[in-house]
Amino acid sequence: MNVDDRMPHTGLGQTNWTDEQRAEFLRRRRARNLLLLGALAGFCLIIYAVAIVKLHEYGQMW
Amino acid sequence: MSASVQTTPELLGEPPVTPALGAEPRDWLLLLKPRVISLVVFTGAVGLVIAPGHINPVLGAVAIFCIALGAGAAGALNMWYDRDIDALMKRTLARPIPAGKIEAGGALGYGIVLSVISVLLLAMATNLVAAGVLAFSIFYYAVIYTMWLKRRTPQNIVIGGGAGAFPAVIGAAAVTGHITALPMLLFAIVFFWTPPHFWSLSLFASTDYEKAGIPMLPVVKGARHTRLNVLVYSLLLLPLAVSPWPLGLTGPVYGVTALISSLVFVYYCWGVYADKQDAKGVSLTKDKPARAAFKYSILYLFILFLACAVDRLV
Repeated sequence: MNVDDRMPHTGLGQTNWTDEQRAEFLRRRRARNLLLLGALAGFCLIIYAVAIVKLHEYGQMW
Repeated sequence: MSASVQTTPELLGEPPVTPALGAEPRDWLLLLKPRVISLVVFTGAVGLVIAPGHINPVLGAVAIFCIALGAGAAGALNMWYDRDIDALMKRTLARPIPAGKIEAGGALGYGIVLSVISVLLLAMATNLVAAGVLAFSIFYYAVIYTMWLKRRTPQNIVIGGGAGAFPAVIGAAAVTGHITALPMLLFAIVFFWTPPHFWSLSLFASTDYEKAGIPMLPVVKGARHTRLNVLVYSLLLLPLAVSPWPLGLTGPVYGVTALISSLVFVYYCWGVYADKQDAKGVSLTKDKPARAAFKYSILYLFILFLACAVDRLV
């Protein structure tokens, strides 16, 4: 199994890419992954904060 | 690739997609219509402030976040559905889907997931009434306005104006757990404010709408008819905007501010109506009054909501 088999739609296998294009592709993908990570972490933090506040103020979640 | 097996987006009637380098995170954020979100956050926050009662600041912040997220999700669904006409208009050509930065299916999934998250999170943080109104507002904008009305009737934004009027109601419902009179009046104000706001815009952007086949009022009924409607709606809005004061829902701070700012809005709309025009009502001044009315309409709504919040706080 090579890189292309594992990631068939990433475009990494395009041989006509320059080094700059390949680097730009990887940079954008990393940025999207970091954004998704941040969004998921933020979502967990919000759930956690809401749970703490509601349990503290009302003694129940719903 | 032979033509017989080619399935490019162009042949499928889709805007061109260039998957080459992938989207920037910024493109995914642009899909949420951040400019609209900023106005929604403001009106939602005013809804929280004017509501009788108290909400924990953390839950209040989460409520505003959910309103913003829901509005963004509705914006993403709107961009997904309108990708064909967005590609035809200069104003929307650079949006992420017609620009080929994000694929349509991805935008649809993004919009649906964010819609569900925003509604569930709001239900958890506040109450089912606020979450229900948020869910309905997303449905209203994405389905009733975008998919049903926008391409069918010149009254699209009259009815669709309701979509932008929900945040204050949601904000207030997040605090009280039910729907009260003042947020409903603010809803009505935004509802009647939307037609003169959008029709002013459509007067100087009508060629774009015409090209995309959207039946905006100037395209279907002509500029002269649109000018009259802008003025009529501003006159209807005047007593409505002031009404919370005589009804005892706000004090004089809001009442006087609403009266003055509404009179100024009528003045701007009169300018649109009385603009120098040819026999068909087409402006001979490059629609300067319409541009001025459009700009002022945004400030006007901001002033009304700010005055309402200040009135409650003082």
